[in-house]
Amino acid sequence: MDRGKDPKKKTGRWGLKAKLILSMLLVGVIPLLVGLVMAFLQGSQRIREVSGESFKTLATETARKLDLVVGEEMVRASRIATDPVIISELEKRRDMLRDLSQDQRQTLLLEHATHWQAKDRTLVKTVVESKLANLLHRYYVGSSYDSDQPLPQVARSATKALFLTDSTGSLVASLTPDVPYAHGHTPWWQGAYNKGVGTPYIEDVLFDDRVGAYVFTISLPVMDSLRYEAVGVVHRVLDAKEFFSPLTHPIRFGKTGHAMLIDSRGIVISCPILPTGVRLADAALIPLVTLLQPGWVNAPSDGHGGQTRSIIGFAHLPEASRATNGSLEAGAWHTFVWQSSDELFAPVRHLLTWILAFGLVAVGLLACLGYVAASRIVTPIRRLQEAAMLIGRGELREPVTIQTGDELEDLAVEINRMNTQLEAAFAGLTDQVERKTQEVQYLQKATDEILDSVPDPIIMLDLDEKVQYLNQASKDAFNLQQADMKTASLFELLRIDEPSRDKLRNELRALDNLASEGCEPVSAARPRSSGRDVRDPLTPQLTSASSADRKELHIGKSVYQYEWFRISTPPGEAPRLGLVLRDATEEARLQDQLIHTEKLASLGVLSAGIGHELNNPLFGVMGLGEAIQDETDLNQVKVYAKDIIQHGKRMAAIIQDFTGLARAGIKGRSVQVDLNTELSEALKLAQLTGEGASLEIRTDYRPVPTIYARPEELRQAFTNVIMNAVQAMKGIGMLSVTTGVTDGMIEVRIRDSGPGIPRPYLHKVFDPFFTTKKQGEGTGLGLTTTRRIVMKCGGHIQIQSEEGRGTLCLITFPVTAPSPEREEPK
Amino acid sequence: MKTAKRQTAWWVPAGLIMATVGFWGLSSAARDSGGSGKIAPEKVAEYVHAVIEADRTIYTTHVVDRMQEKGITSAVEHWEQQNALPLPAQFLQYSGRVAAEKGSGIRYRLISLWPIYQRNAPAAEFERKGLEAVISQPQRPFTGTVTSGQKQFFQAIYADTAITKACVSCHNAHPLSPKRDFKLNDVMGGIVITIPLP
Repeated sequence: MDRGKDPKKKTGRWGLKAKLILSMLLVGVIPLLVGLVMAFLQGSQRIREVSGESFKTLATETARKLDLVVGEEMVRASRIATDPVIISELEKRRDMLRDLSQDQRQTLLLEHATHWQAKDRTLVKTVVESKLANLLHRYYVGSSYDSDQPLPQVARSATKALFLTDSTGSLVASLTPDVPYAHGHTPWWQGAYNKGVGTPYIEDVLFDDRVGAYVFTISLPVMDSLRYEAVGVVHRVLDAKEFFSPLTHPIRFGKTGHAMLIDSRGIVISCPILPTGVRLADAALIPLVTLLQPGWVNAPSDGHGGQTRSIIGFAHLPEASRATNGSLEAGAWHTFVWQSSDELFAPVRHLLTWILAFGLVAVGLLACLGYVAASRIVTPIRRLQEAAMLIGRGELREPVTIQTGDELEDLAVEINRMNTQLEAAFAGLTDQVERKTQEVQYLQKATDEILDSVPDPIIMLDLDEKVQYLNQASKDAFNLQQADMKTASLFELLRIDEPSRDKLRNELRALDNLASEGCEPVSAARPRSSGRDVRDPLTPQLTSASSADRKELHIGKSVYQYEWFRISTPPGEAPRLGLVLRDATEEARLQDQLIHTEKLASLGVLSAGIGHELNNPLFGVMGLGEAIQDETDLNQVKVYAKDIIQHGKRMAAIIQDFTGLARAGIKGRSVQVDLNTELSEALKLAQLTGEGASLEIRTDYRPVPTIYARPEELRQAFTNVIMNAVQAMKGIGMLSVTTGVTDGMIEVRIRDSGPGIPRPYLHKVFDPFFTTKKQGEGTGLGLTTTRRIVMKCGGHIQIQSEEGRGTLCLITFPVTAPSPEREEPK
Repeated sequence: MKTAKRQTAWWVPAGLIMATVGFWGLSSAARDSGGSGKIAPEKVAEYVHAVIEADRTIYTTHVVDRMQEKGITSAVEHWEQQNALPLPAQFLQYSGRVAAEKGSGIRYRLISLWPIYQRNAPAAEFERKGLEAVISQPQRPFTGTVTSGQKQFFQAIYADTAITKACVSCHNAHPLSPKRDFKLNDVMGGIVITIPLP
């Protein structure tokens, strides 16, 4: 725990109380907002659906109502069209025109048209005041209808023209004279006459100049008495606004809601707001509301110039639309029910405003309640927090008292119990820590004393060569003070030459690598040689080669032997190494003296041997010399002289052997040598002697790898062994020479069937000047020379013999030849 | 609108076929009449009636019934708005109108003493008598010559019976139907064929 900082004083973070209040607010506000949005969306959607369905129903009902009214007017027109008088008159006119030729008919009609244009009174009277015209007038005023079906005043006043045409479209009878005469080219006439078949035809709204208003027309064919063909057309022109406005204008709801009638082109036929004859402002709206199925649409505009999305109900006039423009497909009439979106959605917005206001009040209450609740929760928690801090500091003396009757009170009880147990536990723990600390200090002190009592210098350092510890012996040996070891490098303390420094650094790096690879450190000490080390006193020591490998340091005038050792460190700490130095100055001096003494002893042995060997022939020479002095017989003198020469040759041979031992191998260079070849050559040499010629010789040369050696040396070594065997068998027996590779080693086996070597002599056969031969037969240096040559080649020679059962000389060489650099120093 | 047009379009060629067959009947009848080169209007009316009857039967059984059985569509009165098939009676009326619009002179239409719409009531006394006659004797057509002004026409009225239950149920249920006790194979009206005489 951070004792230096009081959590209360921390800034920039939210306390538990603030979080609790915020959580409560979020818990209240988020559902409120989600509810508001969902209510708004759902309410709007429901209003759209309900309004749409209501508008659709209203549009459908309005369409039915208008359809009935239009249908009634068509029925009234059909009463005119089915009047027998009118049918009869038009049949007569048809027959009259049919009796005329084509030209006569055209001439007559043209003449009538011209007269009508000129307002010929006779023709006008014929058309306007004829029997048919009077009949039309009676229908117009309603006197020709049944008493229960009078022509409504609205329909009568809206009727701006009512006339009859014949089967050519020429005017036959009319209420008023202000109508054209020929109508055969007009769409309504062609639609109603329909090639004589006859079809009801309601023309879309259009502006009539004569009437000065937008009108629509109803045209019905007048079929003949057999209903076989049309003999004329009854045509009625009605003011659209005057006719429909009493029907559509009362349909209002709210401030803006209303119903209107449009045709399939979007032209307004009747609307309380828009004037008749105008087209809906948004052309894209027209296909949406002129379907042949009742429905409603959420349109991108309202059709009244507004561009807000609007709910529009629509329906077509089912029966009247069959006759509009001749057929349903040619264009129908539709009702259009609309209400302003602002007005339509005003209840939702009003409701939303109220909900928002209540929601804000609820949020305020929630914040207050949250503050009170958070205070009740946070106050005991803060007391618990303070208690925990006091426990951490070990300063809680009084138990925490919280009486909330819930988990917090249980927590306070547990904290009090924990505090009691901690106090008890800490009391024993402090004693243990102090005791262990003292033990560690004693151990550290003892270690320092042990290390200081060690006479050899011990240095501990890290892998960066920084010295971390020096024992007393180091300080004494290198004249160091305690201050010197601070941040001192190893080589600042040890004044050694550059090669030795590099050597130490390499070893340090090697240990570092081993440590980093997780390997156990390998002792840098040279492994001790095992077995008996037979030393040839005449063989020069390889002092210069081994000195580089020896773990010795020359510091000042002293010579130190050293060893590295690893020091265990806790995990995570840098590894450390130790360096133990041992003053070997006196030991080196004694070693040199010992070598010198050993050399002198060897020289004595050598001299004794040489003296012994030379003494006998020398005494012989001396004896023969004295005999010659007293001898007068010249022949006898010659015999003595011959003997003296023999003794001289003997002495010369002894000296040559000695010289060969000492100087063997000076000449020649090491090459790859085939052992089988050299064995054969040596065997030939042995067979040249008289004893070798009569022996049974068995050879078994297996292919063996070559070795790196001097061939003449190797041949001499083999000759020495073979000659020993030949001489031992004294001309009788079997000599076996075999080669082969066993366990990775080249083996040369030279076995004889001679008398063998007695056990007491067996361990001396390689000693210089040791021989079992008679005086003058051997120098005792053959096997010594042979073993030196074999060892120089990296090989090993072994003599196995049992008395009376022959001798085996086993020579082995490693398959890998020694490197050329390994030469005997000259 | 487009669907309605498509549905309207198919009975136009049907009418053409019937008109063609009618003319073929007339011309073949003329050949059959021997050396006079004329054919009795009764024979012509019989031929035309056979074709009309056959076409309406095929339409009723192989088009309307099958479509309704498979649930694809049905035949209703307001077939244009409801994207459906015309009733068989409407089929006959519309084909008669198309045939008339071709200008051949022959007309045929359905009439009844109990029409749902007054436009399908008998146009003249002859037609009324003819309907009464075929009701009493359905197997025998009522024929005669009538005049319209100076024009003479041959008219033949054939009994039109309720060939399916749909005919009966529709007429008995329609709010504008003046008679609602039709039964299967009852004579519901007549097919009047009008042929202009020279």
